[in-house]
Amino acid sequence: MTAFVVRRLVRLVVVVIGVSLVTFAILHASGDPVALIMPEAPEADRAVLRRTLGLHDPLPVQFARFVGNTLTGNFGTSFFHRTPAFALVVERMPTTLLLTSLSMALAMAIALPVGIYSAVRRGRPVDQVATGTVFLGQSMPVFWTGIMLILLFSVQWRLLPVSGWDSWASIVLPTATLSTFTAPLLLRIVRSSMLDVIRLDYVRTARAKGVSEWLVICRHALKNAALPVVTVTGLQFGLLLGGAVITETVFAIPGVGRLIVGAIRQLDFPVVQAGVFMLAMIVVAVNFLVDLLYGYLNPQIRIR
Amino acid sequence: MKRWLLPVLALGLLLSLTSAGSAQPKDTLTVALVSHAPTLDPHMHFERVGILVNVNMFDSLLHRNTKLEYEPSLATSWKALNDTTWEFKLRKGVKFHNGDPLTAEDVKFSFDRVLEPGKEKKKSPQYGNIRAVKEVRIVDADTIQVITDKPFPLLLERLVFFAIVPKKHIEKVGDEAFGTTAAVGTGPWKLVEWKRDQAIRLEAFDGHWRGKPPFKNLVFRAVPEVATQIAEMKTGGVDIIRNVSADLIPELKASPMTYVSSTPILRVHYVELDMRQPPFDKKLVRQAANYAIDKQALIQKLMGGLGQQVATVVQPRAFGFDAEVQPFPYDPKKAKELLAQAGFPSGVDITVHSASADFRPQFEAIAQMLTEVGLRTNARMWDPGPAWNKFFQTEGKATHAAYGTWGNYSVFDADAVLHPLFHTEPGGWIGKHYTRVEGLDKLIDEGRSTIDQARRKRTYAQIQKIIRDEAPAIYLFTQYDTLAISKKVEYAARGDEWLWLYDAKPKK
Repeated sequence: MTAFVVRRLVRLVVVVIGVSLVTFAILHASGDPVALIMPEAPEADRAVLRRTLGLHDPLPVQFARFVGNTLTGNFGTSFFHRTPAFALVVERMPTTLLLTSLSMALAMAIALPVGIYSAVRRGRPVDQVATGTVFLGQSMPVFWTGIMLILLFSVQWRLLPVSGWDSWASIVLPTATLSTFTAPLLLRIVRSSMLDVIRLDYVRTARAKGVSEWLVICRHALKNAALPVVTVTGLQFGLLLGGAVITETVFAIPGVGRLIVGAIRQLDFPVVQAGVFMLAMIVVAVNFLVDLLYGYLNPQIRIR
Repeated sequence: MKRWLLPVLALGLLLSLTSAGSAQPKDTLTVALVSHAPTLDPHMHFERVGILVNVNMFDSLLHRNTKLEYEPSLATSWKALNDTTWEFKLRKGVKFHNGDPLTAEDVKFSFDRVLEPGKEKKKSPQYGNIRAVKEVRIVDADTIQVITDKPFPLLLERLVFFAIVPKKHIEKVGDEAFGTTAAVGTGPWKLVEWKRDQAIRLEAFDGHWRGKPPFKNLVFRAVPEVATQIAEMKTGGVDIIRNVSADLIPELKASPMTYVSSTPILRVHYVELDMRQPPFDKKLVRQAANYAIDKQALIQKLMGGLGQQVATVVQPRAFGFDAEVQPFPYDPKKAKELLAQAGFPSGVDITVHSASADFRPQFEAIAQMLTEVGLRTNARMWDPGPAWNKFFQTEGKATHAAYGTWGNYSVFDADAVLHPLFHTEPGGWIGKHYTRVEGLDKLIDEGRSTIDQARRKRTYAQIQKIIRDEAPAIYLFTQYDTLAISKKVEYAARGDEWLWLYDAKPKK
């Protein structure tokens, strides 16, 4: 177990270094932030700002400084906000985590029961409707879904606020938007792994013993069907964070995703680096949890 | 088996419990901005979205009215004592939001805060605006003098947005708090709270010297997505949205809740020509390029008629504009003739660059029009970041031409566009790379080295004649700004793109 954790931690460090390097390289290839901060100012003024921001040093020097700072958890000062970049990201993290967790929960709440039911009643109307909806759900871009939900629920029916993040009502539409992004895939996985499992002999044996259908499905079948579902859930979390970037922009939610989008537009290197770093950490952490869950769900999988 | 119903029921319950409640109280005016500036401190940013908020909280020495004329604000009168000394009389009885009276000390402090005499690294990004100011002298309690290091004709322009801030208060709370939670000015509204990237809430200031504004509460919401802004507008969640693009105007005009207000703004579009090398080193080719473009078609077909053709880059409402200089007409036949005369009877291949994603259709139409007369154009779009490097760093590499727009930093003066675009001194901007017009530098320098406005006007008239003839750029049009406004509110777009909401009134 210790060896397992250590190996995962090493992998985590590798991921973190990789993410930082790629972010640094892409950002510095993308142009001069000073020109964006003061686009119409004379060169003399821009030179002053470049010095202030430490952008006048040669690239290797900047890179060394960046690595050194990252190792100590210091991502530098935001060019735009003039406050520590890491604090900006941390301040917005709870909003993004709440949004993604609620969406994941909602997606699960839809995918598990509907997926199981479609598998058990394969080919029946519920299954056909569910399978059709999956295709529809998967082919709608998050951006479009969000706008459509706003037009229906806020503009047409006046049920919910258009945007913002100041009441529970304002959380409903973004959560729904983001879960339409995840729910279909989860549903498909739940359905197909359930289908695989309920054909197996041990399920038939359980039924033959006279165990109630309810217990057979939930106790016996579900636990074995859960493995692929858990894997995909972990992977989906990364995608969900990506979707949150768009959802936060559409619904004017003050989360990390929107912070990063703004920072990219302004070439605010420290904020982009800190934000991407944090999101990468979360994805790595979630997948670490998934690995641990494996052992619990199926002791046959010896943790290597 | 019914357990899965629970989440669905819960969601239904949540939906039924919530009321939309987005209708605003009558005395509240809500504006949607795409983002918030990094600070509320009027000296420590250079963001349009920040200036719009600041002007409603802070006063400057001068104000610009809707006709874009100077009006007294914190200064009741001003005059130039000589080429480099300006004297301002301060308004008496003005109070800051915290109750402190405005003093000459506050005015001097505001200047020194941006100028930071003796320091090499300046905190304020607005330093460049007033760098010509050498010293601010307090003459008596109601009089100050601003002394510039050389004649600085743009001083009054710069002072229209130069917020006067409270010395005692800032020294007490510090810069950081002043920019976030404790912003205090003399303007019509005072700060209630700022939730970053959500809403800046302001409340009318009882002690404001003009009297109380018609709206008690003023809210600036940050809504990055245009489609969301429009949905908010339609449901009464916001009352004003900015920068409405031409394709959205019909929809907003048709809505029973909204109307639109457009006005020409100080942003000019042009294609800068690289005069250092063929083919645009030849005057005839540059003129041909100007004749080749059908500006009216661009304005009518691509911009919904919201644009005004210009003869050069100097715009009609900028000081120094000469109405006698006429725009190049659209004349493709003449363009071809000129091209042949210049030695390109069968045309020539060129590349034109652009980083203005918002004006891509215009850029592509221009490329097509140039190609039609024989300037066969390869149109290249760039991301802004890499484009800055290529177009304007070390040596300009936007060969043979680049589409651009220039906003003059909202300074209504010919110098604010001529110097950056066409002057070739090393400290210059675009012109130093691409423009090579004999004698032009000297004239531009002449225009900025006196405060004798009649003389400046003559100089700029002469410059406009020269650049119309030499054509260092393809001259296009000035841009319009369009606001969408709730029918409950009476307001009109301003030529300087400010939202001076003291002028906004509830409609009966």
